[in-house]
Amino acid sequence: MRVKSILTEARQIERAVTLIKLGARLQVLESETDLSYERLLRLYKEVSGRSPSKGQLPFSTDWFMTWQPNIHASLFLNIHEYLNKAAAMEEIDTVIKAYQLYLEQTEAQGLEPLLSVTRAWRLVKFVDNGMLTLTKCTKCSGNFVTHPHEMARHFVCGLCNPPARAGKGKAAGALSLTH
Amino acid sequence: METNQILAEIREANLSYMMLAQSLIRSDRDQALFRLGISEETANMITALTPAQMMKISSGNTLLCRFRMDDDLVWTLITSHGKTAANETVSRLHASILMAGRHQEAA
Repeated sequence: MRVKSILTEARQIERAVTLIKLGARLQVLESETDLSYERLLRLYKEVSGRSPSKGQLPFSTDWFMTWQPNIHASLFLNIHEYLNKAAAMEEIDTVIKAYQLYLEQTEAQGLEPLLSVTRAWRLVKFVDNGMLTLTKCTKCSGNFVTHPHEMARHFVCGLCNPPARAGKGKAAGALSLTH
Repeated sequence: METNQILAEIREANLSYMMLAQSLIRSDRDQALFRLGISEETANMITALTPAQMMKISSGNTLLCRFRMDDDLVWTLITSHGKTAANETVSRLHASILMAGRHQEAA
């Protein structure tokens, strides 16, 4: 069903613009607003000045399990959970606001924001579907993104116990570790 | 520091804190809850304050805001004693994750 209220529509356009500015893929906008595909496409071109990227969204949960992405995803999801508990908002607004706070924090620490807004949105969906969850690390008590079947009693996060090859990359803005 | 100076500096700190809190809440209420680590109710109380009330509650001999890193682990991570610069980024990120996980403080 298409939106009837002009006010609702205005809010949805505003939300779509924010998402496009954050770099969201068109599929995110289609799923989170009632605006038609044609209007979203026009809006996308108007806001970003280019056509949206084509192709499927990344659909696997594996990306979130590798060392660096897991740390970024965990930071985002902790902020998301915080906002979810502290403030009453619509789901997509929680994602937007948590993502903005995540961007601020990575920027303040001179890191490349590895997690795109599309991936952040996917992550929240994965958690809603029970495909991913937050598990408490038995060493630092921080909450980290894991598969739901992770053994909670023995779980140690990637920051307390980095894998042997972690932090060896030379990319700018990447995390590095000297062992 | 003399008592008068102590009181004056506490008032200054309280006033800047309250003014910052008010403007954060006004610019984005939900994000302000995260930034300040306060509950929705507290945010409502802070926004409702008039300048005169703000002056009044800022003058006193105690600070209005509280230290949020009263935990050994976060403290060690954030100050990262004896760590190299590279590991320091990782430690700070670790601390951010731990701090962001503390929503009970806002509840």
